[in-house]
Amino acid sequence: MDNSRNVVVVGGGIAGIQAALDLADMGIHVHLIEKKPCIGGKMAQLDKTFPTLDCSICILAPKLSECYRHKNITIHTLSEVKNVKGERGNFVIDVLKNPRYIKEDVCTGCGDCSRVCPVRGVYNYFDVNLTTQAAAYIPFPSAVPPVYLIDGEKCAYINYGICELCVKACGAEAIDFNQKEELISIKNINSVILATGYDLAEFENPLRGYGYKKCKNVITALEFERLICASGPLGGHLKRLSDGKEPKKIAFIQCVNSRSYKAKQYCSSICCMYSAKEAMIAHEHDNELESYIFYIDVRAGNKGFQKFINRGETEYNIRYVKSKIAQIKTDAQQNPIIVYEDFESAKIKKLKVDLAVLATCIIPPDGIEELANIFKIDLNKYNFIKTDPFYPVLTSREGIYTCGCVHEPMDIPRSVAEASGAAAKAAESVREVEI
Amino acid sequence: MSFEPKILGFLCNWCSYAGADLAGVSRIQYPPNIRVIRVMCSGRVDPEFIFDGFEAGIDGIIVMGCHPGDCHYLEGNYEAEKKFNMVEKLLSFVDMNERIRLEWVSASEGNRFAEIVTEFTDKIKELGPSPVKDPSKANVLLKNINALKMSAVSYRLRALVGRERALTEQENIYGEKVSLERFNDVFENAIFDEYVRNRIVLSLKEDTKSVKDLAIELNMDPSKILSHILILKGRSQVSMDKIVGITPLYISTLEE
Amino acid sequence: MPDKISEEKKIGVFVCHCGTNIGGLVDCEKLAEYSKTLPNVKYSEHNLYTCSETGLAAIKKAVQENDLNRVVVASCTPRTHEPLFRECIEEAGLNPYLFNFVNIRDQCTWVHMKDPEAAYEKSKDLIRMGVSKAEKLEELEKIIVEVNPSAMVIGGGVSGINCALSLNNQGFKTFLVEKDKELGGRLKELYQVFPSDKQASELLNELVAKVKEAKNLTVYTSSKLKSVNGFIGNYEIEIEQRNHNVNLNVGVIVVAVGATSYKPLSLFNYNSKNIITQLELENKLRDNQIEANDIVMIQCVGSRNADREYCSSICCMTALKNALIIKKREPNRNISILFRDLYTPGTIYEEYYRKAREAGVLFIKYTPDKQPIIDKSVVKVYNQYINSEISIPFDLVVLATPLIANNDNRELAQLLKVPLEENKFFLEAHVKLRPIDFATDGVYICGSAKWPADISESTTQGLAAASRAGTILSHKTIEVEGATAYIPDWNKDLCKGCEVCIKICPYNAIVKDENNEIQIIQALCKGCGTCASTCTKKAIVIRHFTNEQIISEILAFGGEKVA
Repeated sequence: MDNSRNVVVVGGGIAGIQAALDLADMGIHVHLIEKKPCIGGKMAQLDKTFPTLDCSICILAPKLSECYRHKNITIHTLSEVKNVKGERGNFVIDVLKNPRYIKEDVCTGCGDCSRVCPVRGVYNYFDVNLTTQAAAYIPFPSAVPPVYLIDGEKCAYINYGICELCVKACGAEAIDFNQKEELISIKNINSVILATGYDLAEFENPLRGYGYKKCKNVITALEFERLICASGPLGGHLKRLSDGKEPKKIAFIQCVNSRSYKAKQYCSSICCMYSAKEAMIAHEHDNELESYIFYIDVRAGNKGFQKFINRGETEYNIRYVKSKIAQIKTDAQQNPIIVYEDFESAKIKKLKVDLAVLATCIIPPDGIEELANIFKIDLNKYNFIKTDPFYPVLTSREGIYTCGCVHEPMDIPRSVAEASGAAAKAAESVREVEI
Repeated sequence: MSFEPKILGFLCNWCSYAGADLAGVSRIQYPPNIRVIRVMCSGRVDPEFIFDGFEAGIDGIIVMGCHPGDCHYLEGNYEAEKKFNMVEKLLSFVDMNERIRLEWVSASEGNRFAEIVTEFTDKIKELGPSPVKDPSKANVLLKNINALKMSAVSYRLRALVGRERALTEQENIYGEKVSLERFNDVFENAIFDEYVRNRIVLSLKEDTKSVKDLAIELNMDPSKILSHILILKGRSQVSMDKIVGITPLYISTLEE
Repeated sequence: MPDKISEEKKIGVFVCHCGTNIGGLVDCEKLAEYSKTLPNVKYSEHNLYTCSETGLAAIKKAVQENDLNRVVVASCTPRTHEPLFRECIEEAGLNPYLFNFVNIRDQCTWVHMKDPEAAYEKSKDLIRMGVSKAEKLEELEKIIVEVNPSAMVIGGGVSGINCALSLNNQGFKTFLVEKDKELGGRLKELYQVFPSDKQASELLNELVAKVKEAKNLTVYTSSKLKSVNGFIGNYEIEIEQRNHNVNLNVGVIVVAVGATSYKPLSLFNYNSKNIITQLELENKLRDNQIEANDIVMIQCVGSRNADREYCSSICCMTALKNALIIKKREPNRNISILFRDLYTPGTIYEEYYRKAREAGVLFIKYTPDKQPIIDKSVVKVYNQYINSEISIPFDLVVLATPLIANNDNRELAQLLKVPLEENKFFLEAHVKLRPIDFATDGVYICGSAKWPADISESTTQGLAAASRAGTILSHKTIEVEGATAYIPDWNKDLCKGCEVCIKICPYNAIVKDENNEIQIIQALCKGCGTCASTCTKKAIVIRHFTNEQIISEILAFGGEKVA
């Protein structure tokens, strides 16, 4: 490996993956750093994608595998950047690698450890904590790397020194309780691409006013994605979590916590499209289903988006209600009742639905300030990474580039294009140093 | 039970196959009768394949390519059209020309793909099962389809269809160009002649026959039959077996 | 190779559930069982996701343990997943061409959702057809092609310049071809660019200065593409500059031709005087010529309607920017923006919208069924909120019209053999995950040529195209498809030298050599197969799509010959 050609990509979502693949295909070695046990990011959790209604994992899985098998990509999962020294052309980056307690290169992914593990009820982050699993687990069936891990906080052996059932069950002898946190130093880094994505806001207000976590039939859009996904907790049969009934009427609430003086003032960019998509998928499962989308403006500017919205209205029983939500009440049968100011009639109205889906606000990912400190880059006033609109993938520091939602809420096509754009800047930098 | 036809589709990889995938991605429903064979270009569809399909009892065959001008391989779809026209003419001799279709479907036309397949399936349902499957017709018909296939792979027709665009669209070194009408006249006669000749060859393979026998069998003027026989003798496809009385009997020299 | 062909065929069939996409409609286990009954099938299994690492590992394991020499996967579509499975069996020690794909999702379970039984029967037929072809598959080698490490970027606007600069910085010789006299594209027409106070001319000067400094970059202005020959790695380009021709040799091509502003000739009494477009307003702003006191801006003029279904995505921000410029100069002027849905996604754009509201710009929503009407000195618009029509006096009406596809896109598309979508913008390989690629290798797309894009997005996409191009240009050689046409030795005698194939080949890949024998140049052949179906003596064989293979599929569907 030619060390001067190393680039570090932080974040293994679709943006980080695309940036890594482009650079690797140029013959530049990439260290892909991912905090979670597997790569794929939010896109892996989605059921389908707009505007093609391609199954998300179907189009993502080949990229995950390509990353995993690429000779120029080293994937570091369960890893976080802790320290950065040097400058463009010669960064040294310290990465904290958390223990997996299973040897990554030995595990076959057979799942025997998980089957014998007596610790159950561990929330699965991949299913947005809607399901639980054993302490030895793999986040989802097509996870990359395709190896299991043991949750150190829940494992009986690690915490109480008893059990070791998995050790006995593992035919490959992959279990390794001696693994510790490990600080590795990656040297000769030419440049860095930050692609750590986003989180979704779960502020108490106004979510509480909307009945979230009080009423089981008020869910977030990401929860909806998992619930309707064939590989999700309900096997793809959408049901209400309160009583298992199939919903016939769904409300999709836009701009929850965003475009609001009370919470975040900006627009999350993607909710109009994914809400239409979710309503369409739900309708595909049950063609008598009606959807109501409560919105301020429909934002469908990208390729094929407006056509997609129009199709939703004409073919998928979607009705758009321009409105401002006052609150969501719940009746005795756990039915959400949307109380809203209807802009068309200028009246306060109510609509009882079976399920309400909240388009919650995109926020900068957890730990963004620490990340900004470590890399010595500026954030903008919304705490996203600061970029210049005319030089979009550059951060305030030379040799540190960014792409995807960590600097601005955006959809997948734009994230992918930006990822390639950031890769181009990193490649320019590598070439410049070479010359 | 209602008739569920067997429909075969040849789809080019770049446009129509992608269009068919898009119909899937968009969940546009269409009848389940079609089975698709993917080829890289509609120009790959050898006329022979169509006859193979009908011989195998397929009820309808559809070929789809990129729209004119969109061909991933520049002009393959134009060539596909020329070949298709020949096959259509040949099939009209056995009244099966309505069982084939050529359509252009782009990668963004999932809807159109589904519409065409639905419409073609309905059409074939209306036409009913392939006559090949009718025991009372099968014998003669399969022989005739075989004659059609032999014609489609004959040097003469392949050379004509292969040169059609060069002849009718480009000038030769003397600055001449064959008009499409004139070409079509020549081509249509050639198609019919080859079909008749191949029927003669196949008929003579079964038994030695006289010109008169053949004229009755093929319902044609004996002098026409004789002229074909002479050409087939020239091509060494037919020879005189014996003379009974004053009547020469011919036999096919076609090998198995 | 001949001994390989004659060896015993051992086919493995893998049926993918694709979650419930396939498995939810048809019984994949039964399909796997059925596959085992087919000739030469030695192994079959069904997987939740055959394409997952788990599924791929299962294929490799089965190949090794059962000594399989052909693999069939029944799942989604070869268009997305064939490379993955080919690579997988290659890792298992098989030639990648010994793989065959059966599409039982996109062309079966997804389109026959209401008829599971028929979908099951169809899946069986398709698997049987796929297995019969697999049995006849042969090993093939990929062809190595040299790469000319240079690029041509067509279009010298924001996206094209940024792309060319990045390619230059990556060290690749780059030719930037612009049809206009000067670089800049639409940037030349603008006054200020959102979301800042920056002058468009300032941004353009910055870019042009960088172009001048760029060592590897050659600019051809007043130039038009005339012809394109060749293939990825080796394109021969002819451009016409003024009245002479220039020949270029490049490895890749980037399309960055931008888009055209729509002129609303028959809409809203457009007269280019007191009813103008946003673009015309830019000129007035630059020359500081705005005298109007009451300004009404109308959004979505000629877009989001039956003719042009799409949202042009840049017009709302343009209107806000121009409204803010006027308000900044003269805070007392009245500006109303009549809109349908205001398009200001994200952080900064939404902030811009708020700023405009705070500056006193009035926003009035209208619906497409009740369009504003321009009546002498007032614009009448129905207001939902008060359920009545209101009249807004105006001195100046500004119409926001969409970007539309250039009218010479069709011509360019045909030269490059790339597709357009329904609005005549260029169509990328995949709208989600391959936004910058064309389906044709070695040709890329960025900026408004693909879809209306603002400066920020055009810049990003220009860079992105440079990255995609860089993945090719940074290699001395690349591998191209091995499924080409050839005349096998045993067919050489068949060929009578009729030359029909030479005339018909669109790539000039077929020639007669010094011995008067037909030769097919492998690196030029794209494997379309038209020569084989035309060959008068059936001497030409198309690798991976041989007559034998295709006929076996036909017979596997039709059943053996009826006779």
